[in-house]
Amino acid sequence: MNKTAGPAEYTDEELLAHLNGSYVVRAKNVKKIYHMGDEEVHALRGVTFSVQRGEYVSIMGPSGSGKSTIFNMIGGLDKPNEGQVYIDEVDIAALNPLELAWLRCHKVGYIFQTYNLITVATALDNVMLPMTFAGMQAAEAQDKAVALLKKVGLGERVLHKPLELSGGQQQRVAVARSLANDPTIVLADEPTANLDKTTGFQIIELLRQLNESEGVTVITATHDHKMLSVSDRIAWVRDGQIERIQNRDELDIEEGEMRVK
Amino acid sequence: MGRHDSTASAAGSEIEVLPFRKIISIALKGIRIRIWRSLIVVSGIILAIAFLSYILCSDGFLQNAFRIGTRELLKSLDKIGVDPDDMDNQRVQTYWMVGLALLISFVGIVNAMLMSVTERFREIGTMKCLGALDGFVLRMFLIESVVLGSVGAMLGMFLGVGLAYFEGAFIYGGAVWGLLPLGWLLLVAFGSFVAGIVITVLGAVYPAWEAARMLPVVALRAEL
Repeated sequence: MNKTAGPAEYTDEELLAHLNGSYVVRAKNVKKIYHMGDEEVHALRGVTFSVQRGEYVSIMGPSGSGKSTIFNMIGGLDKPNEGQVYIDEVDIAALNPLELAWLRCHKVGYIFQTYNLITVATALDNVMLPMTFAGMQAAEAQDKAVALLKKVGLGERVLHKPLELSGGQQQRVAVARSLANDPTIVLADEPTANLDKTTGFQIIELLRQLNESEGVTVITATHDHKMLSVSDRIAWVRDGQIERIQNRDELDIEEGEMRVK
Repeated sequence: MGRHDSTASAAGSEIEVLPFRKIISIALKGIRIRIWRSLIVVSGIILAIAFLSYILCSDGFLQNAFRIGTRELLKSLDKIGVDPDDMDNQRVQTYWMVGLALLISFVGIVNAMLMSVTERFREIGTMKCLGALDGFVLRMFLIESVVLGSVGAMLGMFLGVGLAYFEGAFIYGGAVWGLLPLGWLLLVAFGSFVAGIVITVLGAVYPAWEAARMLPVVALRAEL
């Protein structure tokens, strides 16, 4: 079924990484069932998967394949029916609501397809919000938010409200916001789906650049093939299972166009 | 909101809860940046409480005019079609009116609060993703509703009592000023004010509580 390591077993390399504590995310046999009326929808049918610190991983799959569910699980936004999810070696199922909120605030930065900015607040306030939740002083938070907005190329637009910004700019604000509390992981759910090709590529580049310069682990759920070239690894999801995991060098890259083996 | 128990976890001892002062400033900011929405909610509360305090106040005039029962006052009552011999029936009618006023206030205010909270479900989901606690979301909406409720109830109370005196001056002439004992007037004013705040907070509690305990994914998915 697959040429690389099977989803349920570890290679020596992975085992070593685990022993070194360098995994930021580990999912073990995660199952998720949704109830739609009388019908049971098996969104995830046993997903085993791990991500190392500093990696850029894409979860690829058609819509309805379960990639957003995986995204929600490893982000601590939803809990599995079966199996475990570890973030920085902490089992999120064992966390109480307060600890879960702490985890979302400090360990994870989220980027969404629809940006999900607070529309009535300025870019600056949006970026400052997670810092406020983390208990940072206002002056310090403001300086940091301005620095982050500069880093994503919006230094001139800190006081603009989301609706006064283009889609790409709004997503940049979201990227800055995701980095507010120096998270271990940045999770991006279809970050380019609402953007045109060029703008989408700029956001991907920005994420890759932050991944390299800040050492932040980036995990994206996407069906955008532009993501392939920047990802260290790609997990292909189908019908609630990880079909295979590929490294970048296993991809066939031809003149900027991606062809999947 | 569950207190933090000392289960062993990486998060453990570093957790801090947002200070109350900070939540108040966030809530006030929330009102300010949504000033038009807030004004609409407040005007709903003003109207409801003005209606309530007006009814209570006019009823007070009526009862006292009957109780004091001077010739002029009885003549005034007759002028507005109140039959002193049929006072029991009249009182039943006014109780109905007060009940109705309360009901209208309640429905109007609850509706306004329900709208203003539910249209922010996505925002709540986003905040929860960014690390907001259930208790924070709940407190933020409670503080907002207390502020909106106080402002609306205060203005509504003045408007209603003012209108009642304005109308009373036409019915009873100068006698209106002595008609209500001060204690009674204060009771009407204070009662309407408190009713306004209580109804506003009640109207906000349910949707805010629903919103606060939603899983972030569910709140984010809410389409309105």
